[in-house]
Formats: sequence, structure tokens, C-alpha cells
Amino acid sequence: MGEVAVLGIGMHPWGKFPKKNLNSICRVAVDAALADAGVNWKEVGAVAAASSRFSGGKGWGLNGNDIVEDMGSTGLPVYNLSAGCAAGANAFNVGHMMVASGAHDVVLVVGGEKMPKGFIQTSGLEDETDPEYLRQRCVGLPGPGFWALLTRQRMEEYGTSHEDLAAVAVKAHKVGTHNENARFRQLFSLEDVLNSNMVSDPLRLYEICPVSDGAAAVVLCSAEYARKKASNPVWAASSAVATARFDDGLPRGLGCVPSPGRTHHSEARISVAKALEAAEIGPKDLDFVELQDNTVYYELAFPEEWGMCEPGQSESLLHKGETLPNGSMPINPSGGFLCFGEATTAQGLFQICEVAWQLRGEAGERQVPGAKIGMAQSIGLGGNGTAAVLKR
Amino acid sequence: MTDSSPVHAAKDLFVETSDGPRLLGSRCETCRAPYFPSSEACHNPDCDHSDIQPAHFGPHGTLWSVTVQNYPPPPPVVASDPYSPYAVGLVDLETDGLRVIGRLHVEDPASVKVGGPVELVLAPLGQGQDGHEVISWQFEPR
Repeated sequence: MGEVAVLGIGMHPWGKFPKKNLNSICRVAVDAALADAGVNWKEVGAVAAASSRFSGGKGWGLNGNDIVEDMGSTGLPVYNLSAGCAAGANAFNVGHMMVASGAHDVVLVVGGEKMPKGFIQTSGLEDETDPEYLRQRCVGLPGPGFWALLTRQRMEEYGTSHEDLAAVAVKAHKVGTHNENARFRQLFSLEDVLNSNMVSDPLRLYEICPVSDGAAAVVLCSAEYARKKASNPVWAASSAVATARFDDGLPRGLGCVPSPGRTHHSEARISVAKALEAAEIGPKDLDFVELQDNTVYYELAFPEEWGMCEPGQSESLLHKGETLPNGSMPINPSGGFLCFGEATTAQGLFQICEVAWQLRGEAGERQVPGAKIGMAQSIGLGGNGTAAVLKR
Repeated sequence: MTDSSPVHAAKDLFVETSDGPRLLGSRCETCRAPYFPSSEACHNPDCDHSDIQPAHFGPHGTLWSVTVQNYPPPPPVVASDPYSPYAVGLVDLETDGLRVIGRLHVEDPASVKVGGPVELVLAPLGQGQDGHEVISWQFEPR
């Protein structure tokens, strides 16, 4: 397999843009990524795009086709990838494979989304064979409640406090305030977070991510092509995808058959382990990580579950400032989902953009000093998990 | 007069037996994997012969975690009117090997303790959009 370079990155800022259509939002990201790469549209050999169920794509998730029609139909192949909130990262994985395999020299990966108002209702179906429908109809547990169950369990097992949870949000905004692409850039005090509305106990409004509009694009290319265009490109050392195991401890429908121990989110654990192994590094070799923080819980739990630190250690690292960009275990220097909000299928690619900016040393006030190797990680409905390691 | 007679939240998920309420599911007789809702085939990748038979689950379990739903979710969620926050738990059922989700049948949702014993009951969630009272499985702290 050949080496894969991240030659260009581009983003439309995250926010709510009722007057803009999805194409125009995606166009900003794609134009920026192509310009950043120094690549002409006609040089792009294939497109891997995240499929959305919320916007564009002709109602069939054909979001890549929308991009191609907008940019100019050259007859190139398009792959529309669906993986819930992991779709952008899933498309990145397919783009990575297309370049690594030698099938294409230059691939554009893109994800863009305009989200409906309110919390995501993960199923639109009214069908008694759909476990998500049954979970809402028979029990009543929207997304934030799902995260709240995980959070409460951690509080019981490790003694995580409400103040610990709020401190994650305070830290996210302390970093995200420096990111011009982030939507929520205001600074919060611990009291601000603790006084925000309780949504799904124990999680408060400022501790979960709302929905946003946004788009991000990435140009991937072969080593040979990269040498012609850039003297010192960022490399995608690995890209991995996984799905949840049968014995995962987190019911995605009404029930599950857990193995003993902390077995939940196996899709994240497996994809991260695969990505680290393929990059030939250990979890403690990462200079920083962009992880999927739909809620503050994940910023505490995931680093422990992946071996970046010891179980139960995250709170003390947080309070010592070790998860800030200049700390020993920087997490989400972009400000993360808490500062961006979730444009579901674009999330995995805003993470790639941030990791690449960090590795280039172009992240300004939120720069991780001397960052040489970083990871992007996402999860999505259906038990989809992804991880990618980038280095320079 | 509108018909407000109780209806089940979904078909074939729970039943009242002479020993009390039970969840309706199935179990693979080869690998003993339990399924709720019932499955037509065994999904255990380590099981080489699917042999699915109907099974009852419950009523005793331990609360693995709990959350209180502080705002009213949209339909098809059924809740009391006017809305009052309710608790949802993840319950590890005794002897069944199954972790299952369910609303908690309790007066004060904030009083529920993780790790405590719970028992399966059938109780109303509230009134559905069509005016019928909607019954579902719930767990009552003991």
C-alpha cells in the first residue's frame, strides 16, 4: 500500500445559516481545500462524500453527486458513504484506501450538512421492527439521555462530580474561543455551565453539543503526486473503521448481552487500536487527539479506554491543565463538538482539518506546541467507529 | 366519548403471567445468548448453530445506570400531561445475561440509586396522541 498525503484542507465555518443552501456551504469548503492543495478540480480522480439524511443528496444521500454537479461533471467516480455521525470519517477511510491502493492519485473527501432544529431524533421511522423507534415509543430516551446514562455510570464508578463535568466544557471553550471556524466561541465559567439548564440528568445544556450547519473538505493524494506539490506535506499514517461487537455493553436498541468489564463503545476502542497499530505507535505517543465529544463524558472516558491514560485519571489531568494544547495530553484543541456543534456528517472531516492545521503549526492561539502526530476519532449511529492518525 | 382504553406501547414485547410480568424475547439454545426483542436468528459471531426459542426475561434486576429526562421529548415518546420528568434506567437482569433499557416506575425520579435492586412492572407511560393510555414495561426500585 502506498503512502497517502493530506495535501489540502478547507472548511466552511460552523453555525446556523438559514439563508445559505447546502451546495454553497460545501462549495466554500471544497474550493478552500483545492486551493490549499494547489489542485485543479479536473485533476481530482474520485470523490468520497458523506451521505446525509438531513440535507441535500436528492433525498437519497447522494451528497457527493451534488458536489460533482456543482464543481463540474467530469465523469469521475463518486462514492456516497453513510455511517451516521461517522460518515465524514468513513468517507475519509474510503478516500484513503483509494489512494493507498493506487486506484487514484488525487481524491476529494467532503462532508457538509444543514441540520434541522432541535436535538437529533435518531430515527425517522415509525416501524416496530426498528429498535430506535421502539426505544422512543416504549421507553423515551433521546440522544442526550443515552449519553447521560454513560455519564451517571462513570460518576458512580469513578466519583466524577458535576464540577468535573462542567470543567470539561469550561476547558473546551477556553480553547475554542481562538478558533474562527467554531460556532460557540464565548468563554464560560464553571458557574455558567453549572447554572445552564439540566437536560438529561446529570448532563446540562452547556455539557452537550447542539446541531449546527457546516462543511469540510480534504484533498488526499499519493506520495509521488505530493512531492510535485508540497515540500513537507502532512501524511495520513493510518485510517481505520470498525463496528461495535456483539458483546458490547451499551444497548443500541432495547437490550444487549454485555461481556464483563467496561465493554461499551467497542467500535471506538477497536478502530482506535487498529489506527494506532497501523501507524506503528502506542496511545501515549500521540501529541494530541481530536475525539468525538458529543458530551463532556467522552473527553473523560475515551482517553482512558484507549490507553492514553489510566482509568479514573482523566479528571485530575483535566484539572491540572494537561488536556489543554500546552499540556501533556492535549484533547480537542479545536474546541471540539462542544464549540462547533454537530453538523453530523461533516464532523469527521472538521477533525481531519484541525489535526492537519495543528501538524502544520498553523493553529495560532490553540496550537499544540511541536505537534508531530495526532489522531481524529468519530462514532456514529449503527455502531460505526473510525480513527485516523496523521503525522508530519 | 373518546376511547381511552389502555394499549400496549408495542406488540409482543411483554406479557402478564401467573407469576407476574415478564419481557418477551428469545434465546439461542446453542450459545444461550438472550434477545430482547425476540430475534429470528442468533447474532453471536461465536455461535455456529442458531437455535432460537421463545423466552421470558425478568423480573429481578440491578440498576446499572439512570438518567432523568428533564424536558419533554417529541412523539413517538409518550409522557404525562402536563409533563413531569421521568427516569430511564439500564438494568442488568438477574440470571438472564441481558442488559435492558426501561423507564423507572417511581414517584421521585431523583431518588433512584445506581446499583440498587429493581423489579419489572407493567404501567402506563402517559396518554398517546390518539388518546389511549399507553402501557409499557417499567422497572420499580425495591
